[in-house]
Amino acid sequence: MTALDVQKIEKSYGKKQAVKGVSFQIQEGEIFGLMGMNGAGKTTILRMLATLLTPDSGDALIAGHSIVKEPDKVRAHISYLPDEAGAYRSMTGEKYLDFIAGLYFKDEAEQDECIQLGKEICGLGDALSRKINTYSRGMTRKLVLARTVMTRPALAILDEPTSGLDVLNSLDIRNTIKRCAKEYGTAFLLSSHHMQEVHTTADKGAIMKDGVFLAEGTPDEILQKYNAETLEQAFERAVKGE
Amino acid sequence: MMHLLRKELSELVTRQMLISLVMSFIIISMLGSLMTNVLTDEFTDYGTVRMIDQDQTEFTQQIIDKLQEDGYTVQTASDFTEGVNQYHWSEATLLPEGMTDLLLVQHEQCQVHSYTLLKTTSSVSLSMMGDSSTQTVVNAINSLLSDEYLQGDLDFLENPIQTVPYTQANNRTVQANPSLILSSLSLFDQLMPLLLFLLVVLTAQTIITAIAAEKADKTLETLLSSPVPRSTIIGAKMLAALIVALVYALTYGMAFLSTVVSTFSGNSGSVDIGETFSEVVATRHYAEELSLQIPFMGWVGVLAQLALTLGITLTASIILGALVEDSKNTQYASLPIMLCTMFPYILSMVSDIRNMGAVKWLLYCIPFTHTFIATANFRFHDLPLFFGGLVYQAVFLAFMVVLALKLYSSDLLFVHRSIFAKKKTTENE
Repeated sequence: MTALDVQKIEKSYGKKQAVKGVSFQIQEGEIFGLMGMNGAGKTTILRMLATLLTPDSGDALIAGHSIVKEPDKVRAHISYLPDEAGAYRSMTGEKYLDFIAGLYFKDEAEQDECIQLGKEICGLGDALSRKINTYSRGMTRKLVLARTVMTRPALAILDEPTSGLDVLNSLDIRNTIKRCAKEYGTAFLLSSHHMQEVHTTADKGAIMKDGVFLAEGTPDEILQKYNAETLEQAFERAVKGE
Repeated sequence: MMHLLRKELSELVTRQMLISLVMSFIIISMLGSLMTNVLTDEFTDYGTVRMIDQDQTEFTQQIIDKLQEDGYTVQTASDFTEGVNQYHWSEATLLPEGMTDLLLVQHEQCQVHSYTLLKTTSSVSLSMMGDSSTQTVVNAINSLLSDEYLQGDLDFLENPIQTVPYTQANNRTVQANPSLILSSLSLFDQLMPLLLFLLVVLTAQTIITAIAAEKADKTLETLLSSPVPRSTIIGAKMLAALIVALVYALTYGMAFLSTVVSTFSGNSGSVDIGETFSEVVATRHYAEELSLQIPFMGWVGVLAQLALTLGITLTASIILGALVEDSKNTQYASLPIMLCTMFPYILSMVSDIRNMGAVKWLLYCIPFTHTFIATANFRFHDLPLFFGGLVYQAVFLAFMVVLALKLYSSDLLFVHRSIFAKKKTTENE
């Protein structure tokens, strides 16, 4: 089942065209990695799909709802994790999960189930009773990733989910993403500068430059297209036009 | 809504905020007793005359006796330096040797010397010293000389003309001093604008800082991409800021009120300020005679303007907060609101905005102005201006709410930086 269907989406900031007619699809339980340099248009795509920006033209359907015509309905099926997003520092981890669950579910039983899932996913244990301002960067990231996936959205949109994290924390985050995609059928759209991360985590991916997709497919398909051994090599050849 | 409101309140009501609130209350309340002590000292000082009698005659002794009869405490020293060193004088009047001879024998004009110790740059303190004290001594000398040279009806000669004050307002006239009538009204009329000023400034800063922090932490993006209507998100933020601002205003208001009451009810030496305060209260009936009292519905109207002003402040702050780049710039973002509050506040304190010529129209464009002059409009029966202001504020608020909702539903919240600084955005995209 298609979780996301992007159709020739475009966005400009003044005279600069940030996204130029991009189309792609993500199936249920699939992980899609967007790779590109700064200014390639990755964040603009993610923000349009998170209903924070409106496309100039084109559309995207999330769980069958249009981001242009039905943004309110779309929001019930997505969860967005911005780049380097924090959480409310004066809250405890548990209160934060409780607050987010309350935004998505009115029924108390559903809220409790959501919070339990969040606690299990973040794996912070007793630290959840502490205030977030005492958390390390890695702990905060695990908490916000947990709140992103605990609502079991049709599409989880993650902007640089492991940015600034050490190897072990990055690994934890990647494993959580893979597990949630597999266990709950959540589709993931993530942007990343780390080619290795996309290679090991994503089922499919795309290389972006100047608002367009230069290549799209499974990591192996991209490697094959550029006759490369690693995604980094493929990325370099793609953006340099080799 | 309640879910979001609880979160907003938990963000705003921190331990630091409560500590600052309690400390502010204690400091302002302490200021009350401090002011009472200062005023007591000032009034005690006011009833003391310091003299250096170098003439040492029966006449100069009569001057001292006369001053004491008039209720003054007279301190004497051999010279000013001795007075300063031993009695901590700051001013004194010197009666020079030969003064009695010049006045009573040679019938010539003479001089008394006024000494002032300069120890402050405060012009207010300086204006309270020296001259007035010397004038008291000169008046005593003149009175004694009148007794010496003039016979007959001295009271008539000394005060041939008396003034009877009349005050007119709302086409009615009473026989009373206008400043006394005003003083009976001004307690509330001066406290209300002060509270309004505090309320507007605190609300603006609270909400702008909160939104700037949400933007910096990117929790605002999380919130806006959640399935909660934008109007609910904005409404919860406004309500939480309003509750916090009201708590602040009530705390400051009570502290200021206790300061005013303790200042006016204090007994200060020879002058009873409590008596003066009672006199002020007793003159309320003049205000009633002049129809300066505000009816119950008038107070409802004033409160309505107060509520509209807060609503405008809240929505304007929500808009300005959304346009702040980072939390370090919040003070700049609140500047437009502070200026729009400060000008009408100060001008309404020192002048009558309604009689300011062309400038008044400019001030009327600022919606806060109407609240600052709301009580004056009712007291002087300028109801068209009051209701005109009320309608203007309501329309202004509606416009601001629509603007806030549009802003929070538009791209501008996340791309305004690209309008002002294209390079930065390009790097981020």
